[in-house]
Amino acid sequence: MFKLNQIIRKSTAIKLGMLLVASTVLLGASCKKTKTPDDTPGDPSKVFDKQGLLVNMADNIIIPSYADFKTALENLKLSFTNFKTSGSLTDFQTVKEKLHLAYLSYQRVSLFGFGPGEDASVRFNFNVFPANVTLINSNISSGSYDLKTISNIATKGFPALDYLFYGLNQAEADQMQLFLTDAKRSKYVNDLLNEMTTILNSVIDTWNSTYRSTFINSLGTDVGSSIGFLINQINYELDYLKNAKIGIPLGLKSGGKILPENCEAYYSGQSLTYAIETLGIIENMYLGKSYSGTNGKGFDDYLDHLGIQYTDGTLYNAIKNQFMSAQAKLSVLANPLSYQIETNSQAVTTAYQELIKLLVLLKTDLPSSLGVVITYQDGDGD
Amino acid sequence: MGMAIKNLFKYLNTNCSIATLVVFRIAFGALMFFSTCRFILKGWVHSMYILPKMHFPYYGFEWVKALPPTGMYIVFSLLLISSLGILFGAFYRISSILFFLLFTYVELIDKTNYLNHYYFVSLVSFMLIFIPAAKSFSLDNKIFKRSETIEIPKFYIFILQFQLFLVYFFAGIAKINYDWLMEAQPLKIWLPAFSHYAVIGDFMEKEWVAYLFCWFGCSYDLVIGFLLFNKRTVNIAYVFVLVFHLATALFFNIGMFPYVMITITIIFFKEDLHLKIVNYLKKLFVYKVVSGSTFTINQFSKGLTIVFSLYFIIQITLPFRYLLYNGKLFWTEQGYRFSWRVMLVEKAGTAFFYVEDKETKQITEVDNKEYLTYMQEKMMATQPDMMVDYAKFLKQEFIEKGYSDPSIRAQSFVTLNGSGSQEFIDPTVDLSAESNCFLKNKEWVRSY
Repeated sequence: MFKLNQIIRKSTAIKLGMLLVASTVLLGASCKKTKTPDDTPGDPSKVFDKQGLLVNMADNIIIPSYADFKTALENLKLSFTNFKTSGSLTDFQTVKEKLHLAYLSYQRVSLFGFGPGEDASVRFNFNVFPANVTLINSNISSGSYDLKTISNIATKGFPALDYLFYGLNQAEADQMQLFLTDAKRSKYVNDLLNEMTTILNSVIDTWNSTYRSTFINSLGTDVGSSIGFLINQINYELDYLKNAKIGIPLGLKSGGKILPENCEAYYSGQSLTYAIETLGIIENMYLGKSYSGTNGKGFDDYLDHLGIQYTDGTLYNAIKNQFMSAQAKLSVLANPLSYQIETNSQAVTTAYQELIKLLVLLKTDLPSSLGVVITYQDGDGD
Repeated sequence: MGMAIKNLFKYLNTNCSIATLVVFRIAFGALMFFSTCRFILKGWVHSMYILPKMHFPYYGFEWVKALPPTGMYIVFSLLLISSLGILFGAFYRISSILFFLLFTYVELIDKTNYLNHYYFVSLVSFMLIFIPAAKSFSLDNKIFKRSETIEIPKFYIFILQFQLFLVYFFAGIAKINYDWLMEAQPLKIWLPAFSHYAVIGDFMEKEWVAYLFCWFGCSYDLVIGFLLFNKRTVNIAYVFVLVFHLATALFFNIGMFPYVMITITIIFFKEDLHLKIVNYLKKLFVYKVVSGSTFTINQFSKGLTIVFSLYFIIQITLPFRYLLYNGKLFWTEQGYRFSWRVMLVEKAGTAFFYVEDKETKQITEVDNKEYLTYMQEKMMATQPDMMVDYAKFLKQEFIEKGYSDPSIRAQSFVTLNGSGSQEFIDPTVDLSAESNCFLKNKEWVRSY
């Protein structure tokens, strides 16, 4: 029709040739199949072994952490049974020690809030703080409660145990007596522990029976893929550390009005230990560092393999250094965090700012460099 | 020049079979019905229009508000009904007007959800209002016992073809930029994510593959419209359309866009094919022309000429409006929407908002999750105009909470095409006092 016809005809042959070559490549792309894991054993000339990363995460971090948490929870239950039989102060102290170890162990699984962990709402069932003290006490005295209801979300899990074992403002011996004299109180603790065990067992069973294989075979980077889940959870956990564990008690969300009683584990005063543990597991997930300390395939290796740059250096180094800065600023503080907030808020604020910098790197640069898609909604690449 | 325009008009006034329009109408109606069903079934009516506590309005359309849940579902039900109306040619004029108005209304509620292909659907449904696509093989002809129209001026087909041409061509022009051609970005970032694919996986991390895809994509977009217009190359061009869009559908999370383009591009095929399809369908559905008489629309009105001349002048100039603004387009995004810039950037950001009570000097950090959905927060963190909207919303929220004349500042870090995150906006500026007026440069956006 237009004069363009002639122009087009001359160059058509060349262009069609070019289109054909390129479209063959594109057409090849449609054969979507996954590779066996042994295709690429750590050879830098080959593509990054994403399945290797996922296998490392599942077998060396996630599953062992759950197993360890299960042991810690069983130890806690056992120590509580022992204490009720003996009624001795030493056994009461053992319960508190085991409670601390289980709470610490929980910090290492909190990040796995996808798949079975999400289905069982581990985070919401185990660690919504601050505990609702009034409701806990009324539950105990009435003896009638349904822990599964939403209204009881702040009356169970570790925050409730933290309150029951530490938060009664009494001498240790008197506090112990309450458990021995009040059967309802002991029953409440048992109910809390049993609920936690049931939930945890279901998560572990699913991981062992079916989910591990689902997890290690989902090799994409889209939303709903294992890498998508991991990156999302790393960010969720870091955001949670920054906001719930530090920012809110520090008063940053309340116009500067500090809220020390909003600290995690406020009564036992272990907030800082748990915060540092959380940062530790975030770093381990990023590095692919196992429960026993072996450094396997992680996101750092992925970034390194792809040679991702960040300003003058590599993103790999930028993130590594920022983890170190954040750890350092948290480590200069001491337990209890609630006391630090009241007396040394500048140092807490400094640590908070390092977490913000880390969050920007992990939430913005990391997923953006790996092409991770984080929403189900359609996009058009903009 | 005058001669060319004269020839063009002559061409546009030549008659041709109405079958092309009928096939287009059926395809578009079916696509819209399907894609609206998909939208509802995915729960997006809820997550995009009911769940959010606030919406990000388009400049000048701040008066467009979401309806209560029932209202939104009624709107989407009406979209389903009107798309069927278009498909079957039932109460066609009303159906197409209704579809255009409702679809555009839904899109105008929140710019978080802006997609080029939604914009495209709005434009096509607007054009359909003026196009006699239901004057043949339609329920309307049965209901109103109308004569069957057999021929229409090429004008009606051309405007649709030209719109489609513009989409490709502008998408091609947008790809002529340093990042795309010289750096192979963002494909250099996106392709390695598919390194686990069999056979081609090994190539996904190779730089030359990213360059090949970029250069191919750019040439494809620039050339394909011409190849489609040319009767000799239209068939082979369509093969490329198929391959290209199916490949993008496999690689990228772009929903219905590839299928919309694949289906709608059939408008370029010769009329024989469309005639065959319509005749086949007429037989299949035992569609008989009632009166036996047939009818030809001989020309299009002066009014239509003016409407579509204006329409295309806007279409051709709008993508270039970014020239009015300072700074790098991908960074500031001033003039980014409505210009067929597709797949051009990998952009991500994190934004922290702070509200300061001017009287007490108390500062509160906002938890964005409290007010925004995941998608809204993600989009807001990289788009300055959305930050202004959000700041204005926060100001109202905090006034209601008892703050006295609060100022809203933001700390924001953005990475663009693998640049590494850097400070995006001036953290000292009270964003709630800024404006999104399209004539105003956003001076507080840091230079890239």
